[in-house]
Amino acid sequence: MKTLKIENLHVEVEGKEILKGVNLTVNEGEVHALMGPNGNGKSTLLAAIMGHPNYKVTEGSIEFDGQNVLEMTVDERSRAGLFLAMQYPQEIPGVTNSDFMRAAMNVRRESPIPLFTFIKSMEKTIRDLEMKEDLAHRFLNEGFSGGEKKRNEIVQMELLKPDLAMLDELDSGLDVDALHIVAKAINEMRKEYPLSLIVVSHYERFYELIEPQFVHVLVDGVIAVEGDAGLARRIDEEGYDWIYKEYEIQPASEAAAVRAPIRLDACAVSQKAQGKR
Amino acid sequence: MNTIRVNQDIRLSEGFSEYVIDSERDLELTLSGEGKCQALFRIKHAKSLRLRGYTADDSEMSVLFWNESTDPLVSDESFEVNERAHLSVAYGECEAAETRRKIYVALRRPYAFAEVHSATLAANRKEYRMNVVNFAPHTTGEMNNYAVVLNQGRLMIDAIGTIVKGAKGAKSHQTSRALSFESGQRSTILPELLIDENDVEASHAMSIGRVDDEQLYYLMSRGLTMPQCTALISAGYLLPVADVIDNEEVRNVLKAELERKLSAL
Repeated sequence: MKTLKIENLHVEVEGKEILKGVNLTVNEGEVHALMGPNGNGKSTLLAAIMGHPNYKVTEGSIEFDGQNVLEMTVDERSRAGLFLAMQYPQEIPGVTNSDFMRAAMNVRRESPIPLFTFIKSMEKTIRDLEMKEDLAHRFLNEGFSGGEKKRNEIVQMELLKPDLAMLDELDSGLDVDALHIVAKAINEMRKEYPLSLIVVSHYERFYELIEPQFVHVLVDGVIAVEGDAGLARRIDEEGYDWIYKEYEIQPASEAAAVRAPIRLDACAVSQKAQGKR
Repeated sequence: MNTIRVNQDIRLSEGFSEYVIDSERDLELTLSGEGKCQALFRIKHAKSLRLRGYTADDSEMSVLFWNESTDPLVSDESFEVNERAHLSVAYGECEAAETRRKIYVALRRPYAFAEVHSATLAANRKEYRMNVVNFAPHTTGEMNNYAVVLNQGRLMIDAIGTIVKGAKGAKSHQTSRALSFESGQRSTILPELLIDENDVEASHAMSIGRVDDEQLYYLMSRGLTMPQCTALISAGYLLPVADVIDNEEVRNVLKAELERKLSAL
């Protein structure tokens, strides 16, 4: 039973404590929704589980499948079965999607995946996500629209078949049609094997498609309220104010939240790709 | 495949040809071509190399120098590009030995075009001094340099675009990029434009820096180790140099060679 177990997790970003004692258990095959106002720790929790170097765990523990996740490097966590579909997927000029995915699949295998098998599975996944056929040969996320980047996260997820996938606002940037395509692909995976999910979204629409059994609301770095899918529906209708009043808590102000730094993209390979060749 | 051991006048014929330079002595070569010709020069061994290239009117010459020598190499090259001729000259430098190259390209007649492209994996001193000179109107010169600087690597690129007076409508563009994975590497890039004419287009772009941590995190979050990320990003940075040869088979061979080298880092 591959269970993710988080106990009393405290996480700091640039010296500021964002998570202040999170407890969460996700059993194999379960779907958990993570909600809460912006800047209150949802993305921080997912990044800490994946091992982003800027997120420092100061207290508490994360275990997955009986192993101490905090002792693992980012790549070890991935190979142990964790996957994070990122809110802002990186653009990597010069590295094609197919080279990247093949390398990522090979590190999970004893012997390299035969080229034919790889091409077949990549093509199938591209079809499932209804992406353009040339995806495999394009540079990783470079020049992709917001929606394409998000769909490409699910292409990767489908190929890597993680045990536990975390979706960080996957639905932002997706139109209604794309949302259905992505949700369908995820639900197909769940039929194939007991995939566990932690889903961060602000929108009830996505939850209706993914159907979480558990909903957790993060407010100021702790899980303030927990419930079933009904809780997500109520938040969709009424917002978070009732939670602040009922539980006498205050959200962390969004302005104080740590934001991802703006990066100046500086790789000339991208110019080359758009150029004459 | 032809092996070059002594001084030679090489006349490239239409299509693709491959040469191996393997000599214990200082070599002097002349290179000329007509029509559309492409050539790969694998440098196995040469003490020093002096090369004079000539591109005839309306011809299209593409040459790739793939340096496989494990000994230091000193090379001095000059190219003349004539009316409406198109020259692409590329350098693949992936061995640990020291290399010093001096490259001079004269865009001699109107509408001549030249592109100099280098891809360097620097684990030692790698030095380029290149000067592309627009002598005639409506000529175009481009320089594109990409380097991955490894531990102990020292990169030096001095890239000069010169436009002489009277070369109206001339274009001179250059891009140089150096990438490293660790702090403490040293690279020097000097982009220069010397322009003595008003009606021109010219630009230069330059960057030296480490790979973005967020990019590494993204790749690692899919299970790749740090050396695998380094190899993948470096290959993406350096491989386009092989595109100068319009022959997929050759490109795949060079790609495989480079990937083997990178995966052994």
